[in-house]
Amino acid sequence: MSEKIYALLLRLYPSHFHDAYGEEALQLFRDRARDEKGFFPTIRLWLDLLADLAISAPREYGYVQTALLGASAQRRLAGVPAFHVLQSESPRPVAMLFGSVLSLVVVGTFWISLGHATSHAGMGFMASGRGGSGFSRHQAPQPAPRDAATALNRADGEILKLDRAERQRVVDGVIANLKNHYVDPDVARETADALLAHEKNGDNNSVTNRAALAGLLTRQIRDASHDMHLDVVYSQSPLPEQPPEPTPESLARYRKAMDQQHCMFEPVQILPHNIGYLKLNSFPDTSVCQTTAAAAMASLNHADAIIFDLRENGGGFSNMVSLISAYLFDHPEYIYDPRESPARQSWTRSPVPGNRLADKPVYVLTSASTVSAAEQFCYNLKMLKRVTLVGETTRGSAHAGVFHRIDTHFGTGITEARAINPYSETDWEGTGVEPDVNVKAGDALETAVKLAASKLRKN
Amino acid sequence: MPKRKLDPLPSAAFQILLSLAGEDLHGYGIMRQVADQTDGRMRLGPGTLYSSIQTLLDEKFIEEVDLREDPKLGHQRRRYYRLTAAGRKLARSEAERLADLLRVARAKKFLRGDYV
Repeated sequence: MSEKIYALLLRLYPSHFHDAYGEEALQLFRDRARDEKGFFPTIRLWLDLLADLAISAPREYGYVQTALLGASAQRRLAGVPAFHVLQSESPRPVAMLFGSVLSLVVVGTFWISLGHATSHAGMGFMASGRGGSGFSRHQAPQPAPRDAATALNRADGEILKLDRAERQRVVDGVIANLKNHYVDPDVARETADALLAHEKNGDNNSVTNRAALAGLLTRQIRDASHDMHLDVVYSQSPLPEQPPEPTPESLARYRKAMDQQHCMFEPVQILPHNIGYLKLNSFPDTSVCQTTAAAAMASLNHADAIIFDLRENGGGFSNMVSLISAYLFDHPEYIYDPRESPARQSWTRSPVPGNRLADKPVYVLTSASTVSAAEQFCYNLKMLKRVTLVGETTRGSAHAGVFHRIDTHFGTGITEARAINPYSETDWEGTGVEPDVNVKAGDALETAVKLAASKLRKN
Repeated sequence: MPKRKLDPLPSAAFQILLSLAGEDLHGYGIMRQVADQTDGRMRLGPGTLYSSIQTLLDEKFIEEVDLREDPKLGHQRRRYYRLTAAGRKLARSEAERLADLLRVARAKKFLRGDYV
C-alpha cells in the first residue's frame, strides 16, 4: 500500500527523471521500508521522503525549464520568428489521469470545507423562527434551543419542514399511547392534558425540526408526570412497522452468538493478592447463559476480593444482574428493576450453595459507557453498600419504558410497570450512577487493585 | 539538458563522492554509506540522491559500472556506481577547500584545536 502511494508521488517528478530513476527510487523505498520497521522509523522514513520530494521535485522542474528556455533562446538567434512548443511530447495518459484525480481531490476538499463553513455560519439563523429563510430581516431573532440533540439535527429540519399537521399527529400519538399503556391512568390523563395545553398555547410553534420536537415533548411529559422514564423518540431512519418479536430463529441466533462469544464473559483472572477479576461486557439472558455465569462465579470462589469490570458493558438482562448479585449476599436482597413491579424474582436467590463470596470485598469498575442493566447492577449494589464503585459516572439510561411506534419516524417509551425504588424517587435515568471513587476509566483497574490490596492487608 | 551546476559543490554531491571512495555502490548502498559517514545526520531521499547522481554522471565524476545483484539484498539486479579519476580529484579539492575554511575558523577562534 505505502509503496503504491510512493509510486504515485514519484509521478510528481518530471518524466525524464521518472523514466530514468523511477524504478531505482522505488527500489530504494522498498529497501528502506524493509530495513526500517516499527512506528517511529516508518514515520521518519515518510518525513524524509516528503521533505526530499518538496526539495528535489521543484529543482528537477527548474532544470527542465532552463533547458527549454535555453533551446528557445538559441532559435531566436537565427532571427526567424517562430512559435515554440515548450514540451515536445504529449503528456502521458497516466500523468493526465493523475492530474485529473488530484484536481478532483483539491476541488472536492475546497467544496466540502466551504459547505462545512456555511453550515456553521448558518446554524444561528436556522433556529430563528418557523419558516424563516435564515436571512430575513423581518424576524426578530429567537433564542436557539439548548438541547444538544436539537443542534445535531437542525439541518435536517430545514430540509423537510415540520408542519403543524404532522406535529399534531405526533402529539396525538403520544397521548393515545399514554392513555393506553401508562401504568397510572390518572397521571396519564394529567400528562395528556398538559401536552394539549402546550400545543394550544403555541409553545411548540417555534419548533421547526423533528428531533427538536421529540426533545421538547419529552421534557413536557416528564415535567407533567414526574416520570423520568417517559420519552418521545425521533429516529431519522424509518422505524419498523412491527417490533421484532422473539422467534425461535432469533432465539437460536442469540444462543449461537452467546456460545461463540462465551456469553460475553471474559476469562476470570486471579490478580496478585489473590484478587479475582471478571470482565463482563454484557448481562446476557440467564436462560442461555446461566451455566457460563455459574462457572465464572465458581472460578472466583477462592478469591479474597473481587473486581467486576463493567467499563465496556452495554447492558442486557435484569435476570443476569440478579443472578450474579445473588453470590454477593448470604440472604435474599431486593434488586430494583425500573421495568418490573416487585415480584418473587425481584429478590436474589441468596445464599448460593457452596459460595464463599458473600462477605468478600467487591469493587466494580465503571465508565461513561457503562449502561442500562450494567447501571442497574451498579445502582443496586451501591445502594445496598455492598460494593465500591471505581471509575466514572455511568451513562444514565434506565431504558425502563416499553417502546411504541407512532409513525415512520416517531415513537414513545412508556413505563408500563409500577416499579418500586426503595432508595429514592429517581434512579440513574439521565444522571448516571456516580462512583464512590472517581477516577478516569483507564485508571480504574489500577486504583481498585490498590484499594483491594490495602483492604486485604488490614483484615 | 543543460549541465547542472556543481560549483559550489552541493553537500549531497560531495557526500556521494566520499561514499564511493572505497568501493562501488548501488543507490541504496550510497544512501546507507552517507548516513554512516554523517552519523545519521544526512539521509538522502531518492529524489535528491538520484538527482545528484545524474548530475555527477553528466559531469563524468562518477560512472555506471554494471548491473549486478547485491548478495545481502536479494536477487534484484542493481545499478552500481564508481568514482572516476576526475571525481576523486574534485572530492579532494573540495576537502582541501573545507580544510582551508576550517583553518580560518580556528584562526578566528570559532573552533578550538590547532590542527585540522
